[in-house]
Amino acid sequence: MAKSFRILVINPGSTSTKVALYEDKREIFMSSIQHSEKELQKFKSISDQHQFRVGIIEEALKINSIEIKNIDCVVGRGGLLRPIPSGTYRVNKKMLSDLKSGKRGEHASNLGGIIAHDIAEMVGVPAFIVDPVVVDEMEPVARISGIPEIERRSIFHALNQKAIARRVAAELDKEYEEMNLVVVHMGGGISVGVHKRGRVIDVNNAFDGDGPFAPERAGGVPAGQLLELCFSGKYTKEELKRRLVGNAGMVAYLGTNDMRKTKEMIEKGDQKARLIYEAMSYQIAKEIGACATVLKGRVDGIVLSGGLTYDDELVRMIKERVRWIARIFVSHGEKEMMALAEGALRVLRGEEKPKVY
Amino acid sequence: MYRILVINPGSTSTKIAMYEDEKEAWSETITYRKEDLDGFNRSIEQLEMRRIDIMDLLKNRGVDLKMVSAVVGRGGPFRPLGSGTYLVDEKLLDDIKMGNVQADHISNIGAVLAHELAEKAGVSAYFVDPVSVDEFEPIARISGIPELERISLLHTLNIRATAYRAARDLGKSLTEINLIVAHLGGGISICPIRKGRIIDVNNANEGGPFSPERSGSLPVSSLVKLCYSGKFSFEEMKKRIVGNGGLVAYLGTNDSREVERRIEKGDEDARLIYEAMAYQIAKEIGAMSSVLKGSVDCIVITGGLANSVMLVEWIKERISFIAPVYIYGGENEMEALAHGVLRVLRKEEMVKKY
Repeated sequence: MAKSFRILVINPGSTSTKVALYEDKREIFMSSIQHSEKELQKFKSISDQHQFRVGIIEEALKINSIEIKNIDCVVGRGGLLRPIPSGTYRVNKKMLSDLKSGKRGEHASNLGGIIAHDIAEMVGVPAFIVDPVVVDEMEPVARISGIPEIERRSIFHALNQKAIARRVAAELDKEYEEMNLVVVHMGGGISVGVHKRGRVIDVNNAFDGDGPFAPERAGGVPAGQLLELCFSGKYTKEELKRRLVGNAGMVAYLGTNDMRKTKEMIEKGDQKARLIYEAMSYQIAKEIGACATVLKGRVDGIVLSGGLTYDDELVRMIKERVRWIARIFVSHGEKEMMALAEGALRVLRGEEKPKVY
Repeated sequence: MYRILVINPGSTSTKIAMYEDEKEAWSETITYRKEDLDGFNRSIEQLEMRRIDIMDLLKNRGVDLKMVSAVVGRGGPFRPLGSGTYLVDEKLLDDIKMGNVQADHISNIGAVLAHELAEKAGVSAYFVDPVSVDEFEPIARISGIPELERISLLHTLNIRATAYRAARDLGKSLTEINLIVAHLGGGISICPIRKGRIIDVNNANEGGPFSPERSGSLPVSSLVKLCYSGKFSFEEMKKRIVGNGGLVAYLGTNDSREVERRIEKGDEDARLIYEAMAYQIAKEIGAMSSVLKGSVDCIVITGGLANSVMLVEWIKERISFIAPVYIYGGENEMEALAHGVLRVLRKEEMVKKY
């Protein structure tokens, strides 16, 4: 029997730290530790939280009597790095310095690589990150916006999209690299990616605002009218940005980013809630239709994933509009921990070479 | 036989034509120099000058208004209306004179000129499919924040005329088919038409693909950053989105033939941008196919750019899996106006009240 690998997985989110131990693809242990706002307020920058979060992870492992002396590697969620191709990357000095400086943006996921490196060094094993949000495989034609001052950029839920796409390929007994898929990640933000033979050649930027609106984000909005808001004198730049990412989309219309609450409103007969809910499915379907033309209609499957897929009605409404394009696969939730472990495993098994940042 | 007098006031000209049934009997253009128009603020102020010039022209041509069956003027950005051919009535004339319209545009006076000439002829005056046609479904109005509503504004006149033509070519009536029309001009409008109703459109001033002179959709955070950079005034930014965006912003020309010449000479940059325009047009058509749930009888590409074989081939390659693609190059506003009136005179379509 082939050797099995033990992988420690670290996934720092904005208000939680998740840690898991995998033996190959099997999860042996998983713990999600919540952080209160008060705890995190003490730190000036996100990278300052680094020691605090390492301590919390060590404590969680100790309490649960998880021994990490014999692990083969540590894998952390990747952060806001420079644009890079998809893959599993060894954490190196250059990466650490970019993650610590936050020069490409501050985000809790920046801590993933830093913490993984710390723990890996203590144990004496390699540290990796897998498919950070900055994965960029866009074709030149997709980078053009409409004015030269602005370029379309690839920032998306790469980790989840890639992992789910691989899983669908495996289900069909095919290689990811031989399939054409449109993959939708539906969470607080929504990204719709065109996966052409293993490369994401176009994707709406759920961060920067194009594509469908989402529970907390505006997506694309009418450009001419947006200009008027910008120059109206009513908003600071920061206010307007929050109105487009964070306090936007469903929460801006309905005052909640919680789909269950929205559904309750609809059940009570709230017509506006119904309209906004339907409009979200409408915009997601439009984005999927747009992506189908990028593949010239040769689409092997449409994959819906992310937390919003637990909402059957939403899924049904989207399906109704796009089922003419291709077969639809629904993969509930997101499996970031598993995706990270799998990425590391591919490298440990020698199926894939680790990339150098 | 119906004789239809067509009046189309543009920014620097007034086009006039006489149609005998479907066919153009004659057409003329009165052109204005910049200095002719300098003294005017609102478009309505040009009414008298334009009317006198039209009357002179008709007199010189020996046109007997008593022989005219109807007069049609181009419609303007009036209040949101259903598509179709409308009678010019007092309410509309009031709205135009009082400025109760969505924008001040010279096309607003088309209906007023048509009305005045029709009175002299003792016939009815009409306008057809103005840019403010709005048949959006409620879900199409939602943007992503409540401060902004998606607004229906499109090249309705040519789009509807072309949709009728496509229906005829399919041997069906417009009210029994679903189609997508892509009007490709200086601005680009792409709309799904479900059983005759235009239920969504990108709005060429606000989003969709970039075009020879407009930016189309832009990533919003980047756009906000640019607006607050202090480098651009509101007017400059506006120009960058409508007028000085798209092809002209990247390549310094809004002339597609010039771009194609550069591409043929091996200009890779020109090729990338031109291809990106085709790419974005195809994506918008794909998006609108989802609106129609994939039940699309045909896709029609029309407008000046539909004559560009290179561009059209790139688009077709990406969308032909959706439905058969018809190319009706160019646009003919005068004919579209005449045919719109002809449809109601022949009772093929009900005339609408403003």
